[in-house]
Amino acid sequence: MRTALLLAALLAGSATSAADHPDFSGTWERYPPPGEKADPRYAPSAIPDPQLKPQYRAEWEAGQKILKQRLEEGQPAGDNYVHCIPDGMPAMMMGMFPMEIFQRPEQINIAQEAFNQTRRIYMNQKLPKWDEVDPSFYGASVGHWEGDTLVIETTGIKDNVRFRWTPHSEGMKITERIHLLAPDILQDRITVEDSYLEKPWTYSYSFRRMKDYKLQEYVCEDNREYVGTDGSQHLRIDK
Amino acid sequence: MKSKTLLVLPVAAALLAPPAAAHHSFAMFDNTRSVTLHGKVTSYQWTNPHSYLEIDAEDGKGGTKHYTMEMTSPNMLHRGGWSSRTVKPGDVVTAVMSPLRDGQAGGLLLELTLPNGTKMLPGVPNAQRYKITS
Repeated sequence: MRTALLLAALLAGSATSAADHPDFSGTWERYPPPGEKADPRYAPSAIPDPQLKPQYRAEWEAGQKILKQRLEEGQPAGDNYVHCIPDGMPAMMMGMFPMEIFQRPEQINIAQEAFNQTRRIYMNQKLPKWDEVDPSFYGASVGHWEGDTLVIETTGIKDNVRFRWTPHSEGMKITERIHLLAPDILQDRITVEDSYLEKPWTYSYSFRRMKDYKLQEYVCEDNREYVGTDGSQHLRIDK
Repeated sequence: MKSKTLLVLPVAAALLAPPAAAHHSFAMFDNTRSVTLHGKVTSYQWTNPHSYLEIDAEDGKGGTKHYTMEMTSPNMLHRGGWSSRTVKPGDVVTAVMSPLRDGQAGGLLLELTLPNGTKMLPGVPNAQRYKITS
């Protein structure tokens, strides 16, 4: 009887807190995973090309040409991972490997298995101006709830931390709207605003909850791959 | 071994491909052919961004030749059923690899047969692109 009462009290308690805000805590993987067809209700959006202003478009197009060519040749794109450098924002949210969300009323952390990346989102604080923060990989992030949607604003990203080789200013602002499409499906709708862009760049990712998965350590400890001066990739063999 | 591709091995390879497989390109390996090595493990290194398996392979003339084989990352290997203890120095194994194009003694590990006969797949992204010809 006592156990039943205790259980009832506990259930009531969790129901109350769940009613305040949805709980995103747990481990998530990109949806759909490779080889699986997405349920159309939960499919992520395609990622359009960024609409850069003319003065930045040439640099971007030149980069895309190299990217495409290297991809066709099966050569490395020359992005961060080849050099053992983490994604930063907003690239981290592509979910290369599983990610874990830690949710407290005052702070939400998102960890990404690749490179042990962590971003910290401070709730109900004012977003600093971009020139008030030291530029970094993850920038300064603040969050608030709009109903069941977690809205995160981020600024202060280093100009060399790029998603899809897209140039941006240090004043770039990323706004994310994260909400549950289903109990185990999370959507992150990302909007990038920047003085380099003609109009905001918007796309989304979907994530599916993983049962009983524990994120693994990822320290980039021994990178034996290197890119030669001619752009070709080699393996360093010590012997 | 008859020529085949990893496409017919349904389990690990498909599950392990990351969302964007192009981060670490395997262009330095010749995916049109494979080499099968038989010999003794000298090192099995469980590190990021890639793990490595090194073996002294029989050269068919009574001697051995040292080879370095690249694998995927420990987290991907772990999800595919590997651990840091799957093989150890001294184990006699059979390894199938895509050889390095530049002629160095190494390659990309495609299959590993353990001393107990278990065949392990290291979850190479887009594994179906690597022909097994050896």
